Amino acid sequence: MNIEFSDPFASQKAIARNALYQVIDPELFVNVIDLGMIYDLDFNTEGHITVTMTLTTPHCPMGDAIQNGVRNAMEACFPDRQTEINLTFNPPWGMDKVTEEGRKQLGAY
Amino acid sequence: MAELNIGKAPPNSTILPFYATGAMVFWVLCLLLFLSADSLTTHFFNPHLLTIVHAAALGWGTMIIFGAAHQLLPVVCERDLFSPALGSLSWYSLFTGVLILAASFWNFRVGWIMISGGILVVISVIAFFINSAFTSRIFSQLSPARLFITTSAFWLGITVTIGLLLAINLSTPFFTRNHLEILKLHAHAGLAGWFLQLVTGISSKLVPMFLLAKETKDRWMYRAAWLQNAGLILFLTDGYFFGIHPDRILIYSILVAGGIACWLYFLYDAFRHRLRKRIDMQMRHTFTSFLFLLMAVVLIPVILFSGQSQWALLYGTFLFMGWITGIILGMTFKTLPFIVWNGHYKMLSGKVKVPLPKDLYQESLLIWQYRVYLIAILLLGAGILSAQAIIIRIAALLWMIVASLYGYNVLKILLHKTKIE
Repeated sequence: MNIEFSDPFASQKAIARNALYQVIDPELFVNVIDLGMIYDLDFNTEGHITVTMTLTTPHCPMGDAIQNGVRNAMEACFPDRQTEINLTFNPPWGMDKVTEEGRKQLGAY
Repeated sequence: MAELNIGKAPPNSTILPFYATGAMVFWVLCLLLFLSADSLTTHFFNPHLLTIVHAAALGWGTMIIFGAAHQLLPVVCERDLFSPALGSLSWYSLFTGVLILAASFWNFRVGWIMISGGILVVISVIAFFINSAFTSRIFSQLSPARLFITTSAFWLGITVTIGLLLAINLSTPFFTRNHLEILKLHAHAGLAGWFLQLVTGISSKLVPMFLLAKETKDRWMYRAAWLQNAGLILFLTDGYFFGIHPDRILIYSILVAGGIACWLYFLYDAFRHRLRKRIDMQMRHTFTSFLFLLMAVVLIPVILFSGQSQWALLYGTFLFMGWITGIILGMTFKTLPFIVWNGHYKMLSGKVKVPLPKDLYQESLLIWQYRVYLIAILLLGAGILSAQAIIIRIAALLWMIVASLYGYNVLKILLHKTKIE
């Protein structure tokens, strides 16, 4: 997930991204940012954050826990905003979404 | 969208009793193996071996697989479990049915008590079949996993129905065919229909998921379904109407073996194209167990043409203790810790520091469990081939160690208390 410097919410997005580094997929032991599960963070609506994210598989048994983790992390950083999760499988998660660090942690090399 | 159905897990009260009972029965099964090591040096139709086999097939294998299947059905089918209440009914009736059957076989008391045990097992299977059929809704959306789950539940129904009829036949003979011939059909409906097809179906979904494999080749799974079912149907039909003839059985075995090869190729392809290169102990257990399945398949012509009973015993041992037990010993720790972890920490994740599912059990014991399992199965095989009760007894002692290590970890997970920092 890249953050543009010109984005008016760049600083909020950076804070959110840092918080999401702490949300771990309990099966893979890798955080959701390095796994490439977070597609977008939207701060445009006042009082809300919309996290567009995916799961490694549509029927991930840990899906609820991961979404709760994202919601909890966002609410801890931005207590004045309500978090909404927009779960999507379009585009589906793939290995191309995983960062170099994520690949290293998965033992892909 | 957030309300997209990703399949919600059924309540833990539906799932966990299966795991707790399965672990307990596994320990008892190994104790029985130790106490009646002699039963593995004679013909397979003896009361103690019948007890051990039914404890292994129903109380251990089917019990754990039912627990895992009730948990995984929503995952595989991407919809909620049809009825958790039916899941609980399935546990109650399977547990009491196995207890009654095991006691009846051990003392070889045929009659209404043994039959009632059989009826309870049939009730349990009907409940499971309804749950799997209505959860998978095979006719609305076909996938290899859904297909195999449905066919395996069907074959389990056939297996336990034949089993019940055999129990009735022991007290009130009515089969026109030889009881032992029907017993072979019953055993293979269970092995090639229930266990093989269920494991094939579930693994086709879980192995690529655990390994983070790229796209998978589903066409190999459909070939596997055709071959496994064609071989089994031909074997059962021919075996019942025309008797068991080695030449023809070999052809049907080749068909089933072809189905196994297609499935293993599918898994191999997923393995080759995986992102997750590190193979954990649970997956190692699973992959090793496939070797014992292959060894059992290789033994089929030997059994058919040698006529010596120890080969049949070795075949059954590789299937039950090498293959099915091997998978369960590994896969339990890919499912149970996550089920329990979800119950304790699902809502807390991201809020406070919580342990990982792997922290719920002792990983070092899993390594020892794997090592002792390998020695135990090989020693048991050697004991059966040499017909030496003392070797079988030493192997059974090792099996008791495996069961204790497994039971300790299962208990540790089940009794876990929420820990937050």
